Amino acid sequence: MALIIVYPVLYTGWMSLQEWYASSVTLPKFIALANYQHLAFADPRFREAFFRTLYFAALVVSGEAVLGVAMALLFNREFWGRGLVRTLSILPMVATPTAIALIFVMMYHPTLGVMNYLVTRVGVGPLKWTYSSHTALYALALVDVWEWTPLVMLIALAGLAALPREPYESAVIDGASGPTILWHITLPLLRPILIVAVLFRAIDAIKTFDIIFIMTQGGPSNASETINLLLFNQAFSYFNIGYASSMAVALFAIVMGASLILMKVRRTEW
Amino acid sequence: MTAQRKRAGSGTMTRREAIRLGTAAAVGAAAGAAMAPFAPSPVQAESVNWQRYKGTTLSLLFYKHPWVDEIEKYFPEFESLTGMKLQHEVIPEVQGREKLVVQMTSGAGDIDAWHASMHVEKRRFWKSGWFQPVNAYLQDKTLTAEDYAWNDITKGAVDAVTQPDKTISALPTFPDPFVMFYRKDLFDQKGWGPPKTLDELEDRAKALHNPPSTYGFVMRGLKNANATPWAFVLFAMGGKYLTPDRKSAMNTPEWIKTMDWYAGMLRKYAPPGVVNFNWYECSAAFIQGQVGMYIDGVNFANQFEDPTKSKIVGKVGYAPLPSGPAGRFAPTFTNAMAVSAQSKHKEAAYLFSEWATSKKNCNRELLGGVGVGRASTWGLPEVKAKAKMPIGWYQAYQESLKISRPGLPEIVDVTQYRDIIGVAIQKAIEGAKSADVIADANKQFQEMLDKTEK
Repeated sequence: MALIIVYPVLYTGWMSLQEWYASSVTLPKFIALANYQHLAFADPRFREAFFRTLYFAALVVSGEAVLGVAMALLFNREFWGRGLVRTLSILPMVATPTAIALIFVMMYHPTLGVMNYLVTRVGVGPLKWTYSSHTALYALALVDVWEWTPLVMLIALAGLAALPREPYESAVIDGASGPTILWHITLPLLRPILIVAVLFRAIDAIKTFDIIFIMTQGGPSNASETINLLLFNQAFSYFNIGYASSMAVALFAIVMGASLILMKVRRTEW
Repeated sequence: MTAQRKRAGSGTMTRREAIRLGTAAAVGAAAGAAMAPFAPSPVQAESVNWQRYKGTTLSLLFYKHPWVDEIEKYFPEFESLTGMKLQHEVIPEVQGREKLVVQMTSGAGDIDAWHASMHVEKRRFWKSGWFQPVNAYLQDKTLTAEDYAWNDITKGAVDAVTQPDKTISALPTFPDPFVMFYRKDLFDQKGWGPPKTLDELEDRAKALHNPPSTYGFVMRGLKNANATPWAFVLFAMGGKYLTPDRKSAMNTPEWIKTMDWYAGMLRKYAPPGVVNFNWYECSAAFIQGQVGMYIDGVNFANQFEDPTKSKIVGKVGYAPLPSGPAGRFAPTFTNAMAVSAQSKHKEAAYLFSEWATSKKNCNRELLGGVGVGRASTWGLPEVKAKAKMPIGWYQAYQESLKISRPGLPEIVDVTQYRDIIGVAIQKAIEGAKSADVIADANKQFQEMLDKTEK
């Protein structure tokens, strides 16, 4: 186990201190922290990708949290056909991301896609979706939200099912309204489990690769290039292994940092 | 289908492997240097003993490609001819190349031959010493059949597989020149022939452009993918990739003029969203009858003539690319069967490459609608008699092979160049100034050359 996890991590760390191109006949050259220096101070493409990654993660996680909780509250009520609707609603989560991405590519097509047909029917658009550097990141975020909201919903639903009944009974006796109960009782009680859901999604969103790679390849004009996309290009398109390793370490640090912050938030009393 | 292979590990190299690889490269280079430049050999008297390596199992790697789909059908024929066994894998190109680089870097020697994309791999793999030069094999009468006829291979294809030190890295299979597709029915209505110059092309695009029903013109906008059609405009404008001392030649008026034309055409006459169109979206728009003219690789034409996919069957005209101030060129991207320098069965692998690119198999490929780099094949009477594609397609293909030119710079990191120019094109399509994006791309390109061309 240690070999499977620790060795690659240590090896990546070691490679990040080298200058080496796979396919090059020259041996790796030890350059200490030069890769990190370049990453932090001399690579605008990385800097842009760094902020873009955080922005994308914040965008999708907030969207998924709000929508996921809303859906969970809806499915927590009794209504006819609830089981069927609930089952259907988790389909996006279990579908293959590659297939989802390929279908959305065509749906987003500005002239042939169904999305523009739909939005123009309600008086918006037509939009360029992933086919413009101004809207590509948001169009991708929409796919991510569509795909992963069900996960947040499922976790929130499990949380709702486990909530104690007493606070609600007291609130009803005191004459509290629905929104007041939601804001002052349900959400605070759900907070620990919601933070777990947000943590899962944040870690995944920072590392999102599949839909971006297939739908835009980081474009147009690098407008949707996240760290993971850039890392992939450096490693497997340019074969710049040393530099890509330093990016991998940086990405690892970012994910770790985000996780620690969220864990801390979870323990904080509000 | 899938060969059983030793796992190549993480793609990193131990010191010992690196030295071994370095030695192999040095030996390869020395062998190459010692070999005289290869000239077409006279008619060879001895015959090839195809059964020489009977019992050998060859591991082959192919990238998904129409040429591969066709040749695969005849593998049993090769096996019975030679008594060898073929284990082969077919993987999409990007993933296939990753696998190959990992295998080669680790020095595993598991792959005997692969279907190389010369426009991407030519210099990188040559500098790494991964191509087994085939000059000596071509001259060996016991290995190369009398009727293989190297001088039958088209010049563009020969150039694509010949390295600066005159070693031949692979045997050409499929040259893919860019050509022009246009809506013949619309052109006939207006009494036009295909455009002969860039200016004519622009005039016609303007006249046909009537959104949202018809857009005048389409070409790739997606980064990296757009670097291939870009080459046709660049060459026509007289632009070059590198100076004679192999520095970036981007910062010139020709590059800026090319950017003005390329980005301008797509901004003015292409469907919305073209900035992220790969060939797939371009073809889809063309097939749906939305576009008047489209420039791309010749092999995308099959789907235009497929009634199950296309609304424009029989309405497409094919022509070589128009010319610019510097002339008329067809950027061409060549695939070839390469023997791995790490293979333990080099000569056996060469026999496969030879068989796969023989006249007989080239004829089969062309009759199956896949172009080849053999002059004699194009002269076959059956090509016209049993034409799978409209005759105009064959003519445009042949004409384009005469004006073909390697479409990408012969540098180590072709992919990174494609990304650099690709992003510049996208920025220009979205409104950035040509001079600015070219200056920025030039800086990045030179930095990359400084790092990778040592």
